[in-house]
Amino acid sequence: MALERYDALTRLAAHLPKDALMMSTYIGAVSFEWGAITEEHPQTAQLGQMGDVVGMAVGLALALPHRKVACLDGDGSVLMELGQLVVMGQEAPDNLVVFVIDNGVYESIGSGKSGPRPTATAGKTDLALLARGSGVPYAVNVDTAEALEKELKLAFSQKGCRFINIKVLPGHARVAPRQSDGFENKYRFVRYVEGLEGKQILHLARQDRQLMKK
Amino acid sequence: MLNDAAQAALAGLKEAGIDFVSGLPDGWQRNLHELIDADPDIRYVPVCNEGVGFSVCAGAWLGGHKTALIMENSGLRVAAEYIARISLGCGVPVVLLLSYRGDLGDTEHWAIPHAIVVEPLLKALRIPYQIVRHRADLRATIKRAQRLSEAQLQPVAVLISGDCIWED
Repeated sequence: MALERYDALTRLAAHLPKDALMMSTYIGAVSFEWGAITEEHPQTAQLGQMGDVVGMAVGLALALPHRKVACLDGDGSVLMELGQLVVMGQEAPDNLVVFVIDNGVYESIGSGKSGPRPTATAGKTDLALLARGSGVPYAVNVDTAEALEKELKLAFSQKGCRFINIKVLPGHARVAPRQSDGFENKYRFVRYVEGLEGKQILHLARQDRQLMKK
Repeated sequence: MLNDAAQAALAGLKEAGIDFVSGLPDGWQRNLHELIDADPDIRYVPVCNEGVGFSVCAGAWLGGHKTALIMENSGLRVAAEYIARISLGCGVPVVLLLSYRGDLGDTEHWAIPHAIVVEPLLKALRIPYQIVRHRADLRATIKRAQRLSEAQLQPVAVLISGDCIWED
């Protein structure tokens, strides 16, 4: 049976380890649904927009190779910048798993009489095939709850650079839009990583700090 | 660039604490890419698109690295989309090292558009920048760029030209 996005995201949230980090898109209904399901837990950075989420996840995964890093993006966003798949394939961090919610449409812009505007994945383009061709060692399409559950168990119990393209039906759940912007989200996430990793990332007052030590 | 300029740039990056570099090699900075790639203290992530390089640097900063993106000034046009989305949208520090193709001394006609666009584009993106035309200034300018980038949580650019490139 075809998957609905909210169901897929609920399953992903249930499998995401408590000590993992998530790099997510911060625009569109997918980000609002993820925020609602996870109650905006700070283990998720909702910072990327269109064409930059996978790239940011690669950087985060390379920075913290001991920690599982997941990524949540949409088909329209990945399609905007396919070079992200190339760096993911070239670096292939074995702590990174990318989940793409592929509904085949640009849903967040709304739809007119002809319905939502299609993305290229509604046509001939296969994102998992593009990921494999870019060097990503494991890349699959899933379109059932059973297949998704199998991939989620594998992704979070084993090492390996993975790309899971989740085919879902268009349509969104009725959830409240997130009320935080990118700046608030960044500070919240960075402070969370600082606590998790026991290291300082923000250095906003270097001289003042030295002064106060005297 | 001249080899001693590349060495000065590498020293500036290391003294600034930059330990993660992404970029796309160009004719002027190829030897700097080679030095960084061979340096055990810096994680080097080559990309085929400067915009992807910026995203990778932003992600690495969120994980605790100090980062730089090295590219031709033409690459700023490619990266501008992601700099606008990420840095104007949430604020992330990345030092940008740009070869200033089309500056005085350049011999190549194709480089002229790169010079016409780069400074107005940096201004449009609200990125502070300094042009370095003297080798002796390169190391310290990179260090200062990193300090400001970290204080304002936005990119800062260093444009490299003049006697960093030419012996005339």
